[in-house]
Amino acid sequence: MLVDLIQNTLDGLTIGAAYALLALGFTLIFGVLRRINLSYGPAIMLGCYAATWFHVQFQAGLLALAAITLAATVLAGAYVERLCFAPHRDRSAIAAMVASFAIWMQLEELATLVLPNHLYAFPALYEGGPLGFGPFTLRADALVMLAVTAVACIALQRLLYRSRFGLAVRAVIDQPVAARLVGINLPWVFVRVFALASAIGAMAGYLIVASAEQVTPMLGMWSTLKGMLAMMLGGLGSLPGAIVGGLALGLIEAHSQWFFGPQVRDLTAYFLLFLLLALRPSGLWTTTRSVS
Amino acid sequence: MDDYAIGVLTNIGLFSFLALSAYLLLIAGEMSFGQQAFFGVGAYSGGVLTAIYGLPLPLAALAAMLLGALAAFLVGLPTLRLRGLYFAMATLAAAEMARILFELYRFQREIDGELVGPDGTQGFRGIRWIFERGIEPEGYLALVWGLLLIALVFFVLVERSRLGATLRAIGQDPELARSCGISVERFKLGVAAAAGALAALGGVLFAHHNTYIEPRNFDIMLGVHSLAYALIGGLGTAVGPLLGVVLDIGALEGSRVFQGYRMIAFGGLVAVLLIFRPRGILDEKAVHWLKARFS
Amino acid sequence: MAKSALFLICCLYSGFAFSQRAGATLQCTATKTDFIYDCVIKLSKGGEPLSGAQITVGADMPSMPMAHNVKPVKAKPGAKPGEYQAKLDLDMLGEWAVKLRLAGPVKDQLILLYHFDEKGARPVTRAGKPLRK
Repeated sequence: MLVDLIQNTLDGLTIGAAYALLALGFTLIFGVLRRINLSYGPAIMLGCYAATWFHVQFQAGLLALAAITLAATVLAGAYVERLCFAPHRDRSAIAAMVASFAIWMQLEELATLVLPNHLYAFPALYEGGPLGFGPFTLRADALVMLAVTAVACIALQRLLYRSRFGLAVRAVIDQPVAARLVGINLPWVFVRVFALASAIGAMAGYLIVASAEQVTPMLGMWSTLKGMLAMMLGGLGSLPGAIVGGLALGLIEAHSQWFFGPQVRDLTAYFLLFLLLALRPSGLWTTTRSVS
Repeated sequence: MDDYAIGVLTNIGLFSFLALSAYLLLIAGEMSFGQQAFFGVGAYSGGVLTAIYGLPLPLAALAAMLLGALAAFLVGLPTLRLRGLYFAMATLAAAEMARILFELYRFQREIDGELVGPDGTQGFRGIRWIFERGIEPEGYLALVWGLLLIALVFFVLVERSRLGATLRAIGQDPELARSCGISVERFKLGVAAAAGALAALGGVLFAHHNTYIEPRNFDIMLGVHSLAYALIGGLGTAVGPLLGVVLDIGALEGSRVFQGYRMIAFGGLVAVLLIFRPRGILDEKAVHWLKARFS
Repeated sequence: MAKSALFLICCLYSGFAFSQRAGATLQCTATKTDFIYDCVIKLSKGGEPLSGAQITVGADMPSMPMAHNVKPVKAKPGAKPGEYQAKLDLDMLGEWAVKLRLAGPVKDQLILLYHFDEKGARPVTRAGKPLRK
């Protein structure tokens, strides 16, 4: 019983790491641009599809595929930013969001046109079997996922707290109007933040499909949903909250799936989110944050 | 009229109920990702009432609308103080919960030697009330559009009345509305319930048109689509959401030019359109201009 | 008491129209054109093949209802009794709910769930069980 509990916790933390990365990217866009990007997951999916295409055509190696995923996702992200978010900067959030939904449809159709099947094999991160230590098993790609997430978080932290760009980003998150008044070039910050968010998302997507060894068009909506859920659980617009939310979501899912099955797993996550929003809209992590 | 045209027009009509439901909430200032849940509530309850309990469709539709309103009220009450993206997230969570509950819902009875009723992820077959009475597709099309037109008349009447002005005031600036003595919370709940009932009506009609529904019908895609149609068509008039539905399902789907590229075309069109008209084609300004021109 | 009366009325109503439902299976192969399939429908009733029916074939996608408008086609009688042929023009791969509207000796409406890929169509199974007609 205890063994199962700890095993589920390990599994939960593993998928939670992926969720944390997804949430980080999503939160960057939300915290800085104050917008929900419904094309976030689809851009990642397109990146993974581009890599899959290269794999199918040229049998490209893992590292090359990672680079392709990154490049394609950032490119797709830039397209989304220019078309859906830049024009609506000072205007309505709804229009930006619906535009991002429209581009979500576009990206999904584009992906299925290039690769029409519902399932494609993706090379595995690690060919060997799961590693065991004691009564627990941990897959090697899970370790890679956790390691990459940890490194990414540390790198992001250094970027945000030790660079001018990071200073500008934090300023825009806290006080967008004041940031503009002191001369920070907001549009340029937005562009770079978008690229950063896409890159982080690409990392998450690549790790997820390489661990699952398959890629489907469902990855698009799934990634957006998980990123959004994790961000909301941890506290809208808070980057440490995104990490907490992602890990928490992973843990909640792993444990509820074990006891009650996949439907209750999803039900629990959504119920918790609804409850949190109804009672404490600022999320698990943040203490007080202005809701605007 | 050939089968194809009837099919397309019926689908446009059915989707319009959903789009109008999202529109109603939008003009009251709230963005809902969850209207598809009430569409599903209407579909399942209407289907169960006619297929298992043999209730006539009009009665089942009324009951379904009441259930839809109730469900919307249950979602609206805890989320009353939420605004903007928080409210949107909450409706998304609620709608997904509803969809999962549909997946877990099993209720079958043996009727005439056959098991009839919702069977979780296997779906709900045998909603044949319309079919069994020999109502032809043309007749059903007339029914759907007849009800839709009644709904539209309702909307137009409300728009011209004090109620309509109140709702738009709440949508534009709730603080100002509150300072004028308007009970924003009460109106929002009322709007939520009305929108839920409207979506549920669409759901009953959808279920009986298809004779087969499953939980997957009522996922986020449906909800976001309805929101998009409402916004693209325009928030200035109730005809706006219909325009949005017609543009996608009617024009783009109907034309063979975009075979296989419909989403790419529609998606691009929507994104570009919103740059120039962020409140849709028939936005408030356009409607005022039209009214001034033709009165 | 009221419940059993209601139940009886339901039976009468359904019995009125038909006592036995028709059944069908679908066999589709992809053609050279993308998303167009040559389909053979095998219709039966009470175990016997059913010929002489006029079938109109339509389709909708469960994951995106009302959004796809597949042109309904009238099936032509096939080689063997109870077999019919139709050319189905879909616009995407994936799971489709094929709707068969029967006129003629039997009036009925059947929904068949099939997964269409680049080769053809196979019946959808959920949780390992094939879906009933």
